[in-house]
Order: sequence, then structure tokens, then C-alpha cells
Amino acid sequence: MTEVEVAEITAMGMKSIGAALAVGLTGIASGIGEMSIGAAAVGAVAEKKDMFGLALIFTVLPETIVIFGLVVALLILFS
Amino acid sequence: MFQPRQMTKLLIAASKDHIEEVIGELYKRRLFHIEDYVRNEQEEWSGYSIGTSLTQADQISSELVKIRSIINNLEINEEQLPKADYTKQSELSKKIASDLPDIAARIEAILLKRSGLEAEQKDLEQKIETLNPFLAFQHPLEILSGYETISFLAGYGKGTPVLPSESELFTSPVRRGEAFNIVAVRSGQLAECERILLDAQFQKVVIPQEKGLASAAVERYQQQITGLQSEIKAIDQEFETIKKQQQLFFVSSEELLTAEIEQAAAPLRFATTEHAFVIEGFVPTNEAVSLVTSLQKATGDKIEIQELEILDLNEEPPVEFQNSRYAQPTEALIDLYVRPKYTEIDPSLFMAILYPLMFGFILGDVAYGTILLVVSLAARGFVKGSEMGTKLIQILRNCSVSAILFGIAYSEFLGTSLPWHPIWLSRHINMGGSASHGVEYVSHVPELLILSIWVGLFHITLARILGAKNASVMEHGEHRSKLMFAHIGWILVMWGIIIAIWSYFPLLLMPDLTGLPLIAGISSSALFGGILILIGIVFIARDNVLELMELPTIISNVLSYTRLVAVGLSSVAIALVTNYIAITMIIDPALKNFTAISIILLIAGIIVFLLGHTLNTALGLLGGGLHPLRLHYVEFFTKFYRGGGKIYNPFGMIRKYTEAEK
Repeated sequence: MTEVEVAEITAMGMKSIGAALAVGLTGIASGIGEMSIGAAAVGAVAEKKDMFGLALIFTVLPETIVIFGLVVALLILFS
Repeated sequence: MFQPRQMTKLLIAASKDHIEEVIGELYKRRLFHIEDYVRNEQEEWSGYSIGTSLTQADQISSELVKIRSIINNLEINEEQLPKADYTKQSELSKKIASDLPDIAARIEAILLKRSGLEAEQKDLEQKIETLNPFLAFQHPLEILSGYETISFLAGYGKGTPVLPSESELFTSPVRRGEAFNIVAVRSGQLAECERILLDAQFQKVVIPQEKGLASAAVERYQQQITGLQSEIKAIDQEFETIKKQQQLFFVSSEELLTAEIEQAAAPLRFATTEHAFVIEGFVPTNEAVSLVTSLQKATGDKIEIQELEILDLNEEPPVEFQNSRYAQPTEALIDLYVRPKYTEIDPSLFMAILYPLMFGFILGDVAYGTILLVVSLAARGFVKGSEMGTKLIQILRNCSVSAILFGIAYSEFLGTSLPWHPIWLSRHINMGGSASHGVEYVSHVPELLILSIWVGLFHITLARILGAKNASVMEHGEHRSKLMFAHIGWILVMWGIIIAIWSYFPLLLMPDLTGLPLIAGISSSALFGGILILIGIVFIARDNVLELMELPTIISNVLSYTRLVAVGLSSVAIALVTNYIAITMIIDPALKNFTAISIILLIAGIIVFLLGHTLNTALGLLGGGLHPLRLHYVEFFTKFYRGGGKIYNPFGMIRKYTEAEK
């Protein structure tokens, strides 16, 4: 294996690690965000069934964070 | 289309002699949204008071209570009722008057008998419970009582207690280390004995007052219980027969009486004087004339009806959607958020078009789309009767058709490709560098991301234009133009930023302005963008300076639309991984050297394949459904939508079982 090949493979590996970090960390952040909202939403739905739709929307709001992470990961991997 | 149904405000006044005709007519037509009269001190309302319910209300409500308790007791489920013709109202009224008291009395008697039998059964079960510990005591139970000098104690305890000398112990082991004990002790030593037993953690049980062996008594009681149970069963059967014969009568009577009680209680919402009453309310404008005519006919023209001026168009009139058949299902999603105000733009049609498009853009797979289409068609039967359910199913149908069309364009089928190249942009990604079945790796991820940003730019621009339109209709005076310009300002800032970006960075699928001539060392287009931003900021600040804090949200809102691609690609990736595990790793090697184990491997491969794609369909439905909804609710609606309109709730009822007569 030439040095160039090794460097290329290393670069590829670094990219993959970067993408994994982007998705993984933002996923944790989303989870933390959704944690309290989800708990409150389940409580609200238990009180009033009509709240289900609204509760679902509120619960997925923090998902934006992981989606930005996913976009960054895609950019790292594919551009 | 973009406006709710037009309403006319009417004031109806008549003599109290005609109150029943007026109420009956209004109820039958089911058009008039009554504005409840609230006692107020305004001069024009002086002398009025809230009306009292019609005289027959008491009787109707007592009948209604009876019917409802019968329906509850018989556990009649409306959905399981056979389809039946409408019952004539007069016939039903007669039947209620003649039959209901008898039936109600009969059911009440049966219920009483049943609860008596059940109580008796409970009693016997209780007795068996107390006898159970004594089953091991093979002597007649009467020897345990009736002595002057000897007392008995019974209960559970651990180990053998050291008892006073003048006592006798019967013990029979129950569980590990625990035994049932009966202690006979001289009455004088009872207290001492009890204390000793208490120290040994002795749990006392009552000694039953029975004669003969415990087992014989238990058997006797069990026989009695069986007898009671068969009696209860017979009653249940009688109940079932009554239910079969009369359930339609009960349900339709309930409907009729509900209609009657609603009418009888209606005057509570009117303003009345000693001899007359006044009702205020709204009627759809195109029905106003016919309602007025029929009211005049019903009262023999002894009624005064006036059209009133609506003072506050935004708040006063109730709101009823008025959309084309295509946009009607989306009303469910709007109502899930909040009903629009009377004057503002009803965004149902925009959402009806854009929501399925976004769903298709995300899911974009022929197979998944077809599965969801089949599901939505199959589920139609289950949601019959639920308006919300029907609407949601129709939305799902539109969305899955859109997913199929996008799937054809992306050339995607369960993550593999169809026999043609993707039209324009491809989402076939190369994962882990290994080839799957028939997939060409020419992914256009950056292009897709830019495309989603375009979607965001246009969506938000549309929202701001609608915001300006709403401001022009709903606001008055100085604030009106300021708010309109603020909305334009937001558009200018957004496009100014994007033009400035174009001036320095060449982006795919976007105009390249990097080559434009420089003015004073700055790119001319960047200068133009900067001017747009400045003008925009001035417009926004003129309305509300604090709003400037929100400027960074322009970028985050537009970038939020990249979720359209990101969520979609994640579902493509799951499909690819499923295919890779199921086909490349399990099925292919199994087929290559075919042995007996290969059959098991094949089955395992197929299970993985099905499980993976089922999961992905569910995730696709969730992701594809929720994210466009969020984009509409959070990014789109917040720019223009106010909501909070009163829901149009006309006085009347949709009858299912009964028929009103003239």
C-alpha cells in the first residue's frame, strides 16, 4: 500500500467518524429534548384524547436537531 | 375557496305564542347558529331576561334519563346496530308514551332481581372463604362452640407455640413452615393464650357458626351458588332477548328525546320579555332567504326578522369551511391546529396540494406507496361514521398516490431501482461501497438538498404573501399598512440574504452571481442583496422593533426544509440495509451452494426482508406524515395564520334513526 492510498483510506475513515458523530450526538440531543415533552404529552393525552394530534406534533419538534445532524452527515459523506 | 362560508347575522323576534314553531323550524333546517343571549346591562337590552325552558322539558328529560340508563345497562352499541329505515317521529312518540314505562319497569325489576342474586352469591362465596381453612379439621364444626368454660381460637401461625398447660392444639400444615391451628383453652386463660399466639405472629381467623363437617357445608354452598349462577344466566338471556327486540326502539327514542330536549331547552339561549322573545344568530348567506321564508310560513307571517350589521368581522361570525371536494379532507389537519378566523385565508387548499407533494418527496417509493394506498383503501370501512377518520384516510390516499409518482421519478422500489433511470434526480446512495441488486450509484444528494431549500424559499415566501393579504383584510388603520410592509420586509430580507450568498458562493441548481462586476470592491449583486436586506429590516422595524430579534430564524426556517431530503434518505438507507442483509448476506450465499440448511437460511432471509420493509413502511408513514405536517404548522402557519375562529355549530341535529314530519 502506498502512502497515498493509506492517506485516502484514513481520510475516508475520518469522514465516516465525523458523519457518525454528527448523527449520534444530535440524536442524543433530540432524545433529551423529546424526553420531557413526551412525558408531558402522554400526560396531556391521558387527560384528553383529542390532544393526541397536537401532542404528537409537539413531541417531534426537537427532531429538527437530529435532522440537521443528518443533513450534515449527508454533506460530509456525499459532497 | 380560500374564504370560509359567508354568514349573515339575523335577529328573529316573535311572540311567545309562536316560540315552539320557530324552534321546531330552526331545528329542522339545521342552519341557524344561535348566539347565546348573555344578560348585560346595555341600554338596548334593558327589560330582557334569559328565557325558561318549555313546559314539557321535565317530562322529556326524565324519559331521556330512563332511556339512557337502559341503553347503558343493556350495553347497546350503536355501531353494531343493523341498518334500519327511519322511524316516523309521531309513531315513535306514541310508542314512547305507551311502551316505555312498562319496558323501563320490567328492566328495572330484572336489574333489581339480578343485583339481589349477585349479592346472595357474594354472600355464599364469603361463607366458603371462611370455611376453607377448616377443611382439614375432620370433625363437626359445632364442637368448636357452645361451651361455658372452654374457648376456641383459630388461625395461621409459624412453628408450634408453647401454650398454657390446660389447652389442646389441633394443627395441620398449610405451606412451608406455616400451619393452621385451632386452640382449645380454658376461658380463664384466653387472654394469656392470645398474647402468646400474638407474639408468635399468629393470624386469627373467624370460627364459622356451622354444623357438620366443613367440607359438607362447602359443598352445600357451592350447589347453591351453581343454582344462583344459572338463574343469573337466565336473566342475562332475557336481557339479550329484550336487547335484540328493542334496541332500535331504544336508540331511536334516545335520538328523538335528545332532539326534543334540545328544542325544549333552546329558550335558555334566547332573550325574552313577558310576551315575546328575541334570537340573534348567524345563517349562511346563501340559505338566509329560504330560512326566512320557511320561518314566516311556519308562524303564519307573525314574525319579525332583520338582518343585523356585523360589527366585528374578525371575531363575530362562526366559521364553516367551504372547500372543493379535493381540499375537504385537509380541513381535518387545519382543525387539528385551530379553525381559521372568519376573515382570514383558509389555507386548506394550499395544504391539500403541498402536503401530499412533500409526503411523496420524502417517501418516494413505488412499493411503499402502493402498500399505503392499499392500506388506506382497506381502512375506509373501519372509520365509517367518524368524520375525522374518513378525512385522514383520504389524505393518506392522496399522499400514497403522490409517493408512487415520486417513486416512479426516483425509480425506487423497496430500495432497489426500477427498470429505468431516475428522472432528473436520484436518491440511490452507495452505502459501504458494496453493490446491491440493480442499483446504479449516481446519488444527487447535494442537488436534492438544494432543491429542498428552494421548496423552503417558495413555501415561506408564499406564507409571507398570505400574511400580507391577511393583514390587509383583518387589520385597520395605521397598523394595517405597517404589518403588510413588515411581511414584505421579511420576504426582502430572506431573498436579500440568498442573493448575497449567491454572489460569493456558486451553488448547484442556483443562479451563479459570482462573475458579476464589482462596485467599489463589492460584488454588485451582493450590494443589491444588501440593499434588499436593509429595506426589509426598515419595514420590519417600522411595525415592531423587537421582531428584529427573530431575523436569524429566516435561516433556520429555510434550512428546516432540508428535512425533506434527510428523512427521505434515511428511509432509503434503511431499505438498502434491509436488502443488503436479507439478499446479499443471507439469500444469495444460500442459493449459491444449495444444501438442506439453505432452506432455513432462505426462510430467515425472507423474514428479515419482510420485517425490515414493514418497519420501514411504518417509519416512512410516520416520518413522511409528521415532518410535512410540522413544516406546515411551524414554518408555514406561523407566518400568516391566526386562527381561533368560532366553529359554526347550527342548531339542529343530524338524524340517524328518526324522521321529522311536517
